[in-house]
Amino acid sequence: MKPAVEVRELTRTFGTFTAVDRVTFDVREGEIFGFLGPNGAGKTTTIKMLAGLLAPASGTGIVAGLDIRTQAERVKQLIGYMSQLFSLYADLTVEENIAFFAGLYEVKGPRLVERRDWVLEMAGLTQHRRRMTGELSLGWKQRLALGCAVLHQPPILFLDEPTSGVDPLSRRNFWDLIYTLAAQGTTIFVSTHYMEEAEYCHRLALMNRGRLIALDRPAALRAQMPATILEVATDNGPLATQALLGAPGVIESAMFGRAVHVVVEDRGHALRTLPGLLESRGLECREIREVPPSLEDVFVSLVRREGGAVAG
Amino acid sequence: MNLSLHRLLAMARKEALHLRRDPRSLGMAFAVPAAMIIFFGYVISFDVNNIRLAVLDGDRSQRSRELVDALLAAGRFSIVQRTDNRHEAERLLDRGSVRMVITIPPGFQKNLAAGEPAPVQALVDGADANTAAIALNYAGSIVSNFSARVTLQASQRSARPVDAASRVWYNETLESSNMIVPGLVAVIMMIIAAMLTALTIAREWERGTMEQLAATPVHRVEVILGKLLPYLGIGLVDVTAAVLIGMVVFDVPFRGNPLLLLGMTTLFLIGTLGLGIFISAAFKSQLLATQTALLATYLPSLILSGLMFDIAGMPLVLRVLSNVVPAKYFIVVLRGIFLKGVGLEVLWAQGVAMIAFAVVGLGLAVLSFRKELA
Amino acid sequence: MSLVSRDRLLQMIRKELKQMLRDPRSRRMLFVAPVMQLLMFGYAVNTDVRNAEMFVVDRDRTAQSRQLIDALTASGHFRVTASGERPAELINALDHGRVLIGIEIPAGFSASIDAGRHAEVQLLVDGSRANTANVALGYATQIINRFGLEHRTALLARSGPAPELAGVDFRSRAWYNPNLESRVYNVPAVMGTIMMMMSLLLTSLAVVREREIGTLEQLMVSPLKPAELILGKTLPVAIVAFIQLLLIMAVALFWFGIPFRGSLVVLFAASFCFTLSGLGVGLFISTVSNTQQEAFMSMFFFLLPAIMLSGFMFAIESMPGPLQPITLLNPLRHYLVVVRGVFLKGAGWSILWPEILTLLLFGIVLLALSMKRFRKTSA
Repeated sequence: MKPAVEVRELTRTFGTFTAVDRVTFDVREGEIFGFLGPNGAGKTTTIKMLAGLLAPASGTGIVAGLDIRTQAERVKQLIGYMSQLFSLYADLTVEENIAFFAGLYEVKGPRLVERRDWVLEMAGLTQHRRRMTGELSLGWKQRLALGCAVLHQPPILFLDEPTSGVDPLSRRNFWDLIYTLAAQGTTIFVSTHYMEEAEYCHRLALMNRGRLIALDRPAALRAQMPATILEVATDNGPLATQALLGAPGVIESAMFGRAVHVVVEDRGHALRTLPGLLESRGLECREIREVPPSLEDVFVSLVRREGGAVAG
Repeated sequence: MNLSLHRLLAMARKEALHLRRDPRSLGMAFAVPAAMIIFFGYVISFDVNNIRLAVLDGDRSQRSRELVDALLAAGRFSIVQRTDNRHEAERLLDRGSVRMVITIPPGFQKNLAAGEPAPVQALVDGADANTAAIALNYAGSIVSNFSARVTLQASQRSARPVDAASRVWYNETLESSNMIVPGLVAVIMMIIAAMLTALTIAREWERGTMEQLAATPVHRVEVILGKLLPYLGIGLVDVTAAVLIGMVVFDVPFRGNPLLLLGMTTLFLIGTLGLGIFISAAFKSQLLATQTALLATYLPSLILSGLMFDIAGMPLVLRVLSNVVPAKYFIVVLRGIFLKGVGLEVLWAQGVAMIAFAVVGLGLAVLSFRKELA
Repeated sequence: MSLVSRDRLLQMIRKELKQMLRDPRSRRMLFVAPVMQLLMFGYAVNTDVRNAEMFVVDRDRTAQSRQLIDALTASGHFRVTASGERPAELINALDHGRVLIGIEIPAGFSASIDAGRHAEVQLLVDGSRANTANVALGYATQIINRFGLEHRTALLARSGPAPELAGVDFRSRAWYNPNLESRVYNVPAVMGTIMMMMSLLLTSLAVVREREIGTLEQLMVSPLKPAELILGKTLPVAIVAFIQLLLIMAVALFWFGIPFRGSLVVLFAASFCFTLSGLGVGLFISTVSNTQQEAFMSMFFFLLPAIMLSGFMFAIESMPGPLQPITLLNPLRHYLVVVRGVFLKGAGWSILWPEILTLLLFGIVLLALSMKRFRKTSA
């Protein structure tokens, strides 16, 4: 099956700064492909290139079978795009924004009526169709923007951090919408810096400083984690963190809420030695147990392994 | 190039909605031109009236009084002070209380009767050269006519040797407003049209909506034409209103062909709106776009268009420069259609210029606007 | 307790200046554009008639008729650009706008004046160029009258001792500006106009831009005091305006050679007061505008009448009566009086104090009102 998106050695520079560095991946039809990484990693630049908004410096990208370098305008017929910052018109009503974008995608006649009603329904804005877009809360605005991006039922959707700044409940709702669209066969390419959202994706690409450092299903990525994570409950978090940091076998030690997470090479060895270490410093070790690695842990350790630092 | 009327109309409809919801732009688009034409039509006058005069009559004869009366009778001068003190007169000039001092030295009547040259001196405040020149012109004419009349009475010939019968063509009464109002229409439309559109693209870039637009299949020609259309409509309404105001309020005659006016106006508007859009696209910052639009239109259209200052009298460089000021051609068209009642057979050259302007304006707009972000 | 922290103020001023001057296009706008305007006004504005195109229909074709034409061209006000046989051609030329004025000398012209009889020539002028037409007619009539008189005198001289018909000898002198060069009047005036325009524009747009982007809110919740914010926005503009003033003056004095007969102190004092007005109005506009576009439109609404009613291009005494006192409310009008007075007449405090005082009052009042409004609407 031909991939919906094929990217080979895609590169983009701004002056001397390399924003996207020879990135290569495929996105399969119908999958939810996540793009994860801190700010400045190059996610937005990659999406903009694939959406035909920026020209690549080198490398190739095929979206829906079309070359983004030479057929960018035709690509736009087949994709939907949601930019990072809200970019619909605040001084138009909900309906008017929908009508406008429908016009740009040449969705007209009975199909227009059908799609418009569908979008209003999906976004929950049917009652508010005459309201000024600028008056809506952010969650609704994002849903409207998503709706306007799919008016023409594109096979591929590019969403650039669509939920940034949105409250968790709305975020959950938004992802329900994404699932609905994916179920209908739309390929969805979404970038985010929320680690928990990354779990929702079928496959994930991790980016840092313009380079692609990992690409796999979330579970597989986690399994890749070479080290173990132990959670230590203690009475003095900051001191404990410091104490554990220098301990033998401890790769990483950081606060996690009130507890401390330590990344260790050897699970058994750590379980045996660390409580004693803490007590020798006058600190309590109330509990120590293994916890599954979060994607953030995976990410940090991958970056460390590459020898780099986390950008942003 | 794959253009779609449907997309273009969608853009035009959106721009119209923006306009409708922006009361200040609307006010600017409709109320301001009308108000300005009425206002300036009344205020601006090239006639220099009410010239404050100080008279130093050293002769105090019948003739000198007749001369002074002749000056007054013309209706342009008003005598602020009669004095015989030269210093006082000069101080009045210094202070700006009078613009001109007329000195009639003693012996005026005697010299005239004897057929000798009888000097009269005019001292004018040269700081305001424009008014000074005109004032001198008036005074000179009046004195010249007076002189001719007097000397011929003396020679007992009742007829003047050479008489200049003058007729004013197109504007019999030499009404300033007949000249100004058509010109004002051109200038005001140029400024307003450019300013209205100058912000439109820069604003979308600054607000981020341009990015969303760029991601759709819309073609940049469609974007530009779509942005242009509502303003074109407004511009045409404005010009129509201006014509009506000119006719009704100022009695400016309309002797030409309204359809020709419509056609020329459309071309002019396309060019000037295109120019505004070009500025907006070239300077993505609203701040810079507005400054540029103002500078690029108000100055040249005010000075180099022939509205106020005759182009023929300007140095070569400026005369050449005036050839690229669209308002200049439009003013010729307006005056031609209003006052001269001429048609394409005379105005064809201006028509060509208008077409060129429309093409250039639109072309610049299209070329300078790119959907790519960088 | 200090109203203003000098450090914070300096920081703001530095930031504003950097923002204004960083972009090369912005720099060009601030410094090149005023000079260009000055040059244009200096050279363009001229209401006198020189070398006006004239169409000659000479039906007489005698030495006398040619002498008449020569008298007209020798004056420097006219030059013959076309000639023809029939009046219809003259009218055609007028229609096409190719000539300003036409003269038709009838057949039998010289015969008439040689016989001591009266002769009439026809002048036809393009009224659609009203003011120029007026002036042209004036000159032409004077020249023709004089020609007639001289001819008659010469004629009478031949037939015997003649009463000299010298008539009135009109001599004119222009004070302050002997050659009646328009630019001497206009260039100083342009200074005032440009400064007002710039300070208005920069102040109003700079504040509104921050409001539009959202950084204004950020500034308001910072330790920055309202007075510091206002000063921080207006002082940089004043600095830039001052630099512009110097620049324009340099051009006026060294390029155009405009005389400067008065005192720099007076000029700077008046400029300072005038700038206050500009800043005040700019600030006011920023309080009634939410977007840069609105600010710009409002500024335009204010600026155009201010320029038109300032005495810059159109003499105030020629305006309709009831309107004239209203122009007294226009700070630009007073500033122009000062500028022209200082440059051309060498006027000093004793003559100009009313204007400078008015400017100061306007400036303070406008600025104070605007500040109050600014605080109210932004707090």
